[in-house]
Amino acid sequence: MNFDLSEDQRTIKSTARELLAARYPLAEVRRLALDDERGFTDAQWEEMVALGWPEIAELGTVEMIVVAEELGYALAPTPLQSTWVAGLLGADVSGGRRGAVVMDGMAADAGSADVLVDWDGAEVSGASVEPARGLDPTRRMFLISAPPAPRSPLGADVERARLQATVMNAAESVGVAERAMGLAVEYAKERKQFGRAIGTYQAVSHACAQMLLEVEGARSAVYWAAWALDHEPEAAPLAAACAKAYAGDAGRRVPRSALQVHGGIGFTWEHDLHFFLKRGEANAHAYGSGAAHREQIAALAGL
Amino acid sequence: MDLSLSPPEREFRDAVRDWIAANHPGPEPAGDSEQFEFRRAWQRAVNERGWAGLTWPAEYGGAGGTLVEQAILFEEVARAGAPPMANILGLAMGGPTVIAHGSEEQRRRFLPPILSADEIWCQGFSEPDSGSDLASLKTRAVRDGDEWVVTGQKVWTTYAHEAKWCMLVARTDPDAPRHRGLTYFLMDMEQDAVEVRPLVQITGEAEFNELFIDGARIPHENIVGGEGNGWPVAITTLMHERAGLAFALQVSVQIALRELRDDIREAGRADDPLVRQRFGQLYAEAQVLRLNAYRGLTAISKRGAPGPEGSLGKWHWAEVNQGLTELAMDVLGPRVLIADGRWPRRFLRARANSIEGGTTEILKNIVAERVLGLPRA
Repeated sequence: MNFDLSEDQRTIKSTARELLAARYPLAEVRRLALDDERGFTDAQWEEMVALGWPEIAELGTVEMIVVAEELGYALAPTPLQSTWVAGLLGADVSGGRRGAVVMDGMAADAGSADVLVDWDGAEVSGASVEPARGLDPTRRMFLISAPPAPRSPLGADVERARLQATVMNAAESVGVAERAMGLAVEYAKERKQFGRAIGTYQAVSHACAQMLLEVEGARSAVYWAAWALDHEPEAAPLAAACAKAYAGDAGRRVPRSALQVHGGIGFTWEHDLHFFLKRGEANAHAYGSGAAHREQIAALAGL
Repeated sequence: MDLSLSPPEREFRDAVRDWIAANHPGPEPAGDSEQFEFRRAWQRAVNERGWAGLTWPAEYGGAGGTLVEQAILFEEVARAGAPPMANILGLAMGGPTVIAHGSEEQRRRFLPPILSADEIWCQGFSEPDSGSDLASLKTRAVRDGDEWVVTGQKVWTTYAHEAKWCMLVARTDPDAPRHRGLTYFLMDMEQDAVEVRPLVQITGEAEFNELFIDGARIPHENIVGGEGNGWPVAITTLMHERAGLAFALQVSVQIALRELRDDIREAGRADDPLVRQRFGQLYAEAQVLRLNAYRGLTAISKRGAPGPEGSLGKWHWAEVNQGLTELAMDVLGPRVLIADGRWPRRFLRARANSIEGGTTEILKNIVAERVLGLPRA
């Protein structure tokens, strides 16, 4: 029993944290989100390809979610997550090819993708791809109208791929929540009202403590699910549902609370917090809502 | 990362499982004192097998085992529906405190009878005017030769009527800053100057007691950790209370959740989407409790201290345990107007969960100040 990252996994995590912090300061996140047409640069993508990140799931689900968590923490705009899921669903994403996945008539990152797949693990061709304004500006969204032609499956283990994708998204929400918590805690230490730091008020400090409860709980659930996918597949459906239900909620509740801690400044376009709020909210509705996963938990637990 | 048991851990689990299957004493008897003696006999059997002090050093009757083995033992006891051990406060709090802060003589004197349940322990910390603000306590101890004379009042003292020893924190220097004037004593409960009165709680039961102490005598050698050093020693006891019991508590939540699932089905409410949502949420939260407990064990065994998740267990447990009794009340509907069956009692008992052993508000203060580094109020 060792509920901790291995030496290698820890190295992946710290490498990702440092690299993403260097490449995606919040000013760059904002520039990509608001001013860059594709939402990422070739240099940024090529660097991730050189690191082997698009195919990191071959090392293990835990390795993938470690990077996913850091992508959420940095809020790095990148088609990497879409490419992961497309690859898991059977698309060829080797050699720097990018993928996107059609779900509910939408696909994130489809405009720059080399290959489109659907949630059943079949390639989608001949589709019209229309850019749309996303709730979360750090991720490019597209409306997809695909011809109803029969699609041939690419042969991936679709059940497993869906669980991996779901847990990956939950991991991203852990990172989003952790960063939002960090912003709130720092602000609560600095911001003074009535002559003292607002973090001395229990209404504020207890809200921050609640954030930690949710962040750490979400992390535990996500690690469990990722580990189960690699080592205890019979537990994976239940673990993945727990991870997505809990971490998806944390990913939106913590930024909401962080915004409240910030007060008015957190409501401004100029402050970066809203990017985290929007990513967390978007994630909570992707790959199955919290409600859908709670229903799944009840069913798998025998209710 | 490896969330499975190692081969030796699996071997230990199998040994525990087999032993419990062969030695399970059956259902607990009715009646408070019958139940207590039943748990005492069970603890003796566990101790003879060498597992009552699983993680304690071998020279004091322990087995020198790992925290993971301790967790396995808790899980297997819970899985088998075996009773808890009688001397829970001695095992989970008093013993670890004596191991950490006691003298060699104290360890040899006090630890073996904790394990054998020959001497039951209770805890004299809270007072009527000192709950969350424990350091304000007023019970006085005055030196008289080789003895200390104690006068004051304690409250919420579990098992005081069965106990031989009380972990007593008293003020020995009223002029010192309030955290420095405290001393941690082991007080013999078998003396006339200690009066135990049962404290009836909202369930109608009396799990706890009040202690009225009027000139009780404690030999100087029964100070643990030195005169005036009672605060850090008391904190050790409280940390063990929260960490040591956390694992056992999360196991009991898993069992209660299974019972709740069965009761939801029996009540014909398994198709109600609102019930299913709340159950699904509680199930996920109970898994988080379990996972955080294991993460805590890994952190303690690697770094000697729990990580950030270690501060959260008791508070989160209280929320989950209260939440599941609340769902049970809603599921049972009008039937709960008749207050028999397990859920009405559990619902009432669970109200204390966010107060006992550190209120949720105090635990949030600790997390905010010591983990997040927020400024003190």
